[in-house]
Amino acid sequence: MLVIEHLVKDYPGNVRGLDDVSLTVPDGEFLVLIGLSGSGKSTLLRCINRLIEPTSGRIMLDNVDITAASAADLRKIRRSIGMIFQQFNLVRRSSVLTNVLTGRLGYVSPWQSVLNHFGEDDYRRALINIDRVGLRERVHQRADRLSGGQQQRVGIARALMQEPRIMLADEPVASLDPATSHSVLKYLQQINREGMTVICSLHFLSLARTYGTRVIALKGGKLMFDGLPSEIDEQRFKDIYGEEAVEVEIR
Amino acid sequence: MSTSVGTPAPASRLPRSVDDVTGRSARAILAHRDSPARQFARLVLLGVSIVVLVGGWRVTDIDLAKLANAQNAGRILTALVQPDVVARDITQTEMRTPYTVGVTGTGEAVATTPTGQRLRVLPAAAKAGDSVELVGSGFEPNADAQLRLDTGTGRTILLSRIPTDNRGGFDVEIEWPSANTAPAGDYTLQMLVNAPSGGLHISDTLVTGLARMGETILLALMGTVFGVLFSVPFSFLGARNLMGASPVGLIIYSATRTFFTITRSIEVLIVGLIMVVIVGIGSFAGVLAIVVHSIGSLGKLYSEAIESIEPGPVEAITATGANRVQTVLFSVIPQVIPEFLAVTIFWWDHNVRMSTVLGLVGGGGIGYLLIQYIQLLQYNQSATVLWMIVAVVTAMDYASAAIRARLV
Repeated sequence: MLVIEHLVKDYPGNVRGLDDVSLTVPDGEFLVLIGLSGSGKSTLLRCINRLIEPTSGRIMLDNVDITAASAADLRKIRRSIGMIFQQFNLVRRSSVLTNVLTGRLGYVSPWQSVLNHFGEDDYRRALINIDRVGLRERVHQRADRLSGGQQQRVGIARALMQEPRIMLADEPVASLDPATSHSVLKYLQQINREGMTVICSLHFLSLARTYGTRVIALKGGKLMFDGLPSEIDEQRFKDIYGEEAVEVEIR
Repeated sequence: MSTSVGTPAPASRLPRSVDDVTGRSARAILAHRDSPARQFARLVLLGVSIVVLVGGWRVTDIDLAKLANAQNAGRILTALVQPDVVARDITQTEMRTPYTVGVTGTGEAVATTPTGQRLRVLPAAAKAGDSVELVGSGFEPNADAQLRLDTGTGRTILLSRIPTDNRGGFDVEIEWPSANTAPAGDYTLQMLVNAPSGGLHISDTLVTGLARMGETILLALMGTVFGVLFSVPFSFLGARNLMGASPVGLIIYSATRTFFTITRSIEVLIVGLIMVVIVGIGSFAGVLAIVVHSIGSLGKLYSEAIESIEPGPVEAITATGANRVQTVLFSVIPQVIPEFLAVTIFWWDHNVRMSTVLGLVGGGGIGYLLIQYIQLLQYNQSATVLWMIVAVVTAMDYASAAIRARLV
């Protein structure tokens, strides 16, 4: 269970990224974050694995305080938090296999990784996860030779290598076409149904309704809405996205 | 005036100018005048520029008349189109005859060789100011003959240089030199004739030059290799995106960049001069100069390559729980390898150009040969070396550009 208590993030120049956000995410939830660009979705996700240092507040994962963890402990905690990104963030010149294996770095001793040495166990996991996202044929190709959807699937395989407890997804389909978006989200849904908590920011409400078991909305760093996807009606939509907004459907 | 919507309007139906609407031309509406202060500032800048240029002309002693006096320039330009690349062997013929100086003689002194060359000197003795006739035959055509007076003490006095004509003979009159040059006494007249013989072959200059050029390229290579070995580790410390997270990191970053700037600011020739003092004249001094100079420049270029990587993969690897070293190994290094290679090849090319001049300060390489030839006024040999530098630098330039184009 992930518990976020009174989380605040101030950026330099008096910009408040997150304003007193409290949230509890039970295991097995597919939590969708919505909100305008700049509303704090990415900041919230990155505070959970401390890619961004929160200004104040607490984040607890299974009763372990992430915000208070030392550098060494933080690396151990990060192993149990997978993350995928809008721009996939693969090392473009490295092969699919190498990219997937890097998901294992938190477990490999630094000396072994200097020699680019991964164990049989790591290769076995890589094979399983590459098969899982259907990229066995592409295993030795450079990441930048792949289509956007394939690259995001490599990103998922890399995150799965960590054997995470929860999966963070920062706009995972914002750079993809609608059909590919669905295929990527289906992988996340599959992982979620196998029991993993997924926290995923999305731009399209229709996708949030299809895949989310719960939706929270941020506006100006504040928690605006927390409930079921079906509870977002016309008025709530306008509260979240502004009076001018018109909902666009993605099928 | 109206334009239809949906179809492009013909030109004649567009407003001819804005003054159709406002009574003012579009040019007048769009006209832009700077404020008086700006106009004045521009005038001042123009004035200052003129003063600086005129002052510079005077301080640097620019004198176009010197260019017009092109005696030396002519010789050098001629030599440039006649580089010393092929040569024939020189065969020297020597002939001798006794000769008395101090009295005006009669008759003739004759010297011959078994191979048929013959020299007659009329008269057989001479004193200062006398006119002496020299007649030769049977020599190689267009050879270079020297008439010398052998004192018998191991010293010879050059009396005259005589070119042979196209039949291998000559007939010239010389004025006998003063007693200061040739005091009275008995001497031996010596005739030395240098004639090209045999077929054309590659000149010694070219052979020496090629060897030195090979040395130059290797000098640049060794300097570059060691420069790379030293600068690559530092370049990671000089990359702001890797070091900027903590105050300690920022201090290391600033110190590294300052170190780069200092080593880069000293020109390679000056470093070379210092290294010659430390390790003596030769290629090793040149290698050291290139290494020192390369650390700063390569370090800066590498650091900038690291700073221009995509931050996304670094973030992603960090998120997996990898430590700093692993993050650099798996997200930074794969991204910078092509740029590092391109920078290295560019810098080797640059260092070859640098090492062609290092010889001027005693740092080895082909520059050392070039300065010797120039100081001995051997312009044809100098031209050979210059053309070799042009050829090698051009080839390196082209090759490095081609390799870099494939890498990046």
